[in-house]
Amino acid sequence: MPDEKREEALRKELDQVLAAGDTEKGTQIARQALESGLTPTEFFVGIIQPLLYDVGKRFERLEIFLPDLMKAAKVIQTMQREVLEPAILAESGEGSELGTVVIGTCQGDIHDIGKNMVALMLQVNGFRVIDLGTDVSPQNFIDAARKEEADIIGMSSLLTPSMPYMGDLIKRLEGLGLREQYKVIVGGAPVTEAYAERIGADAYGADAVHAVQMCRQLIGLEG
Amino acid sequence: MQTNWLVEIVKRSENGPFMKEPDFEMALAKRTAELVREYGLKFDPQVPIPSDDDMADRLYQAGLDLFVEMGVYNQTTERCIKFTRDETEEIVGTALNAVVLGTGKDAVVMRHRGVESDIPCVVHSGPTGTPCTERYHPLILLSCAQEPLVDCLGAGSVSTYMGQAIIPGSPTEILGARRDAAVAREAVRKAGRPGMHINDVAVPLTCAGKMAAIDQDSGLRTSDAVLVSQMVELKTDYDQLSRVAHLKSVGMHIVDLMTPLIGGLGGGAEGTAVVTIACHILGVVLYSASYHMMSHTHLRWVNNTDRMGLWMQSMVAQALSRNTPIVLLNDIYTVSGPGTAELLWEVAAGAVTGTVSGMNQQGAGTTGGFNADHTTGLEARFIAEVAHASLGLTREEANGYALEFLKHYEDTFDNPNRGYPFPELYDEETVEPKEQWLEIYHEVRDAIIALGLDLDGGWRKVRHG
Repeated sequence: MPDEKREEALRKELDQVLAAGDTEKGTQIARQALESGLTPTEFFVGIIQPLLYDVGKRFERLEIFLPDLMKAAKVIQTMQREVLEPAILAESGEGSELGTVVIGTCQGDIHDIGKNMVALMLQVNGFRVIDLGTDVSPQNFIDAARKEEADIIGMSSLLTPSMPYMGDLIKRLEGLGLREQYKVIVGGAPVTEAYAERIGADAYGADAVHAVQMCRQLIGLEG
Repeated sequence: MQTNWLVEIVKRSENGPFMKEPDFEMALAKRTAELVREYGLKFDPQVPIPSDDDMADRLYQAGLDLFVEMGVYNQTTERCIKFTRDETEEIVGTALNAVVLGTGKDAVVMRHRGVESDIPCVVHSGPTGTPCTERYHPLILLSCAQEPLVDCLGAGSVSTYMGQAIIPGSPTEILGARRDAAVAREAVRKAGRPGMHINDVAVPLTCAGKMAAIDQDSGLRTSDAVLVSQMVELKTDYDQLSRVAHLKSVGMHIVDLMTPLIGGLGGGAEGTAVVTIACHILGVVLYSASYHMMSHTHLRWVNNTDRMGLWMQSMVAQALSRNTPIVLLNDIYTVSGPGTAELLWEVAAGAVTGTVSGMNQQGAGTTGGFNADHTTGLEARFIAEVAHASLGLTREEANGYALEFLKHYEDTFDNPNRGYPFPELYDEETVEPKEQWLEIYHEVRDAIIALGLDLDGGWRKVRHG
């Protein structure tokens, strides 16, 4: 197991790399960390996740902005793709994803900043994310979830007229006998926890960080 | 000079550079950050209303650079619609600098105002961004339309039709749009101001829904307006452009609606200001807008009365006032709700900032749009009073007022006072504000007068010279 000082130094170095959006340096650090004896999971859970949590919190407080989050996400995604995933596959022959989330903005709504943020945060926290974009019909969510063998369907809405599609999707899942196959999480500015409960969703994500916590819980991990 | 731009816009939409949307966003964020550095733009939280002409001009150039370099992303074709600098400057140069809104005795002329201008603001009102219920929507609109200092009415948004949620693209969207337009028309009639300009019906999400609101007898008329939206940031699609085609054809006012997010793709206040300049240019070049509604909001609090929001409002307005002829409209968004002193302080900060920087007034989008029916005509009256009293102020003086006003609400952002819904603040029979709301209004009004802003004399001077 790596000692605490070593982890702290790594986190500090990576924090600067995330802020700069330096994908090359990030990949180099990840390689060095694995070469020095850390497993990909130790590196991800011990180093990357605390950093991401911190980045998410700073963004939540708007101490940093969306471009900073995007830069950090790009570094992590590159690191995952080029270093961690191949290493995990070589070790176990399995992918590194915690689970698959099919995500999109509900039909009739073209707002996507919040949804993109959640997708990014899920991705950099180890989920495989299938982003269906905006104006997605309930049936398209279901078709994509079946095709991608998803664990979770995530629906976002900023406009109240598009919110009914969330309940519609859940009813469709029930009608098709698929309700038990997928967990459903909903979010967006006008969506509340009470609304999520009323339509029978499995979870409500108040913001990107909270959505990640809830998705982790939905697949049986700690939030 | 090209004159039939819509055909050309479609041509460029089909043949412009192909780009995936996330790549466009990443490129926009990166270039915006570079432009902030190149042009030396700097947000100072102690100066929400800067008096820096040179920075205003640099900001305009940065926004123009961004528009020309990035183009506008068409989500339908996934291509960038590009314009040369010469084309852009030519189109902006020939934009309208004044528009007649409404008809007959109720018509007003909304103008390009300029920085520290003595041209009075036109005041728009209505439940901007605050959802209403079917039950109270007619009363809320009437409470705004009957305010003597209010010049125009926005019909706002009701999310149900006869108790059923409105589904976009379905008959309920068409019916809801037509109902809301008729309710707005009835409100201005009831207020004795049948020619008052109505600036949109917000509920429809599709082109068909928007167009359904147009009805010369009982809905929106050609003297009214329909909003054409931009998607954040610098994006459009064929649905929006199709609205432009129809509205231009029938001679109706087009309002360019932009909703830049502070903390979003533009980054902080400076970058979002650069993006917002480019958004205004989009509204001129692609939408041929009569006027431009700037609805920027803080990503976390969904307001624009914080220091970054006020700074952005001021700098963008100053930059556009000094470098273009276009007609500007702010859109005050608050965290607080009606029936609270905080709301009045928030709208006062927005009104003084917008007025001195060159904007006309729209408001208020209360509670960040979270609480239904949390909107009344009284806050619109207050916006008008503060705006008219602010005529003739220097930016430095206005900055002093804004800093004073901020003290009364900025520590509530994390735990806002959302106030009360309409029926708790207005008598449902007389449609007049109840005593509790009037008391708060008078308290804040007196406090602002004590600070030196002439809320009694300002509007009288505007009305009577």
